[in-house]
Amino acid sequence: MTDTPNDPKASGWYGEKYSANLKKRHKSERLFRRLGLSAILIALGLLGILLFSIVGKGYTAFIQTYITLDITFSESVIDKDGTRDPVKMRSASYGNLVRDALRKEFPEVTQRRDLRALFGLVSKDATQQLRKMIAADPSLIGKTIPVRMLASDDVDMFEKGYISRDVVQDDRRVKDNELEWLDALQADGAISTHFNTRFFTGGDSREPEMAGIWGAMVGSFYTLIVTFLISFPIGVMSAIYLEEFAPKNKLTDIIEVNINNLAAVPSIVFGLLGLAIFLNVAHLPRSAPLVGGMTLALMTLPTIIIASRAAIRAVPDSIRQAALGLGASPQQAAFHHILPLAMPGILTGTIIGLSQALGETAPLLMIGMVAFIADIPGGVFDPATVMPVQIFLWADSPERAFVEKTSGAIMVLLGFLIFMNAIAVVLRKKFERRW
Amino acid sequence: MQSLVEESAATEQQTEFNSVISAKRVNVFYGDTQALTNVDLEVPENQITSLIGPSGCGKSTFLRCLNRMNDTVDGCRVEGEILLDGVDIYGPGVDEVLLRARVGMVFQKPNPFPKSIYDNVAYGPRIHGLAANKDELDEMVLTSLEKAGLINEVQNRLHSTGTSLSGGQQQRLCIARALAVQPEIILMDEPCSALDPIATAKVEELIEELKENYSIIIVTHSMQQAARISQKTAFFHLGEVVEVGDTEKIFTSPSDERTQGYITGRFG
Repeated sequence: MTDTPNDPKASGWYGEKYSANLKKRHKSERLFRRLGLSAILIALGLLGILLFSIVGKGYTAFIQTYITLDITFSESVIDKDGTRDPVKMRSASYGNLVRDALRKEFPEVTQRRDLRALFGLVSKDATQQLRKMIAADPSLIGKTIPVRMLASDDVDMFEKGYISRDVVQDDRRVKDNELEWLDALQADGAISTHFNTRFFTGGDSREPEMAGIWGAMVGSFYTLIVTFLISFPIGVMSAIYLEEFAPKNKLTDIIEVNINNLAAVPSIVFGLLGLAIFLNVAHLPRSAPLVGGMTLALMTLPTIIIASRAAIRAVPDSIRQAALGLGASPQQAAFHHILPLAMPGILTGTIIGLSQALGETAPLLMIGMVAFIADIPGGVFDPATVMPVQIFLWADSPERAFVEKTSGAIMVLLGFLIFMNAIAVVLRKKFERRW
Repeated sequence: MQSLVEESAATEQQTEFNSVISAKRVNVFYGDTQALTNVDLEVPENQITSLIGPSGCGKSTFLRCLNRMNDTVDGCRVEGEILLDGVDIYGPGVDEVLLRARVGMVFQKPNPFPKSIYDNVAYGPRIHGLAANKDELDEMVLTSLEKAGLINEVQNRLHSTGTSLSGGQQQRLCIARALAVQPEIILMDEPCSALDPIATAKVEELIEELKENYSIIIVTHSMQQAARISQKTAFFHLGEVVEVGDTEKIFTSPSDERTQGYITGRFG
């Protein structure tokens, strides 16, 4: 029988029984494929909604509204005595310069209340900005130059279209007279929008227009460094010992079960542990990345140990035997052969653990990293906050302008996570070897 | 009584030789299961000894006792004496790591390290500190590859990975790797079972050449292979050595009917 029939059914080597069964099998196959496909589509759709909502709300965080005014650096305000003493000049009232400029622009405003509203158009940051300008270049004194200053958050929100003119005045953050002034400034070309560099270089602030994510990014960085330095060596060493050297007995069984259980412990419990031991017993500084990192390391350890053990177990036994058969000691076999081969898996596990730590908020609340910290931390002992906590803090703030900051910060955090996962992929490719 | 008879029968069949390893009353247990029972075996110097027998008869277990690879198996226990140059390798003061440098091993499945061909061979000398400098190491690697008959095939690509070679080449690389440590004895655990006939022929040829300088013990499932290359053959059955003697004798006129049955293909 060399020639097979074209239609097996016709030739009859499928009985009736088989073809009914076959139909059913094909049907369930198709159904399964469709279910799988729809699951993927639903997941993609939900992800799309999430990204759309975050990006839609947050992209405006990356631009900021500025007001340009002609500022006269009058000597009578900055340096009454004419001594040019930098210490004295630093304590001068630079806010008056801004107020004078606004008064000159709108001479018709005289009422105290109206004046306060008018002065509120420009951010409090202007004072700092002018002080820095004079400190950098005292020769500006006496001159009048146009200066671009941050607008207040309400102006910014209005310019971005989050505040509508059509709402009745009482329900609107920007009142009618402010609208008038803004229109006038707009007509003068004094209002402009620019890329918000401050968001990426500044620390937290109570004023939304001045708030930046950089402080939290640096805090996250220090925290993760501490977490990595503690959890990676300890985790990998534990995994090697448990897999390669530890005798298999009751004790190691108990250890194994406990490691698996630890991986499932809610993170806030680790936060309480950190509070109890690192702060209350060891008296380490509160709100510091050191303590945050140590706490997160406790949380990350089980993940790293479990992933590393799985990676070590996946190294073929033949490699182990080859090394031992040549007279390598078990330690040499482990470090020369097994560990390098397990590295891709170990690194993937580590980065998954660190990504988890990067997104963790609850345990850090326990150890005081939720405090308002405007300064950029300079080291692991400085008070700091981390990105997810910053997001939490901003989401909790009442100002409308913090909504976009929150979404902006989420985008930065997601970017960070994607970056870390990209590193994981690169490292994996780099260390991956076939055998 | 029976074992005495067997023993005398066994000695009677053998020609005179210097034994390099002598196993005396070796018992091996995996947990509660006994894998080897009272194995006595003398391994001749500079000859090839093959261990044959049906699956699960304990021949691989015995082989792995000779360089204490069984130590790495959990719950494995070895009793009795295995003398290498008159010293019990399970005795106190014997370091199993150094023992394995004297008693090399080649495994069933070619298992080169996922490193370059050069590094595969150089690994043993490196960890034992056999080479004083780079030139000496180069020399050792090349000599080992030459002894393993691989040099012509790989000399232009010493730095490509060992795993890129064909199966037979990989196995010869593993032999070269074992030779680089300068062992006295080489244990081979079914070295050709994963190879095609042509690669097998090459490896067999190599093994025959190696016996000039090394004592070789080979576990094989192929009786033809045992007959082709070995001078001594031991037949294992159910954890015991049934018969041991000159290969020719075992294959032509075995004294035990179980041996007879196995080599004629009645079981196994």
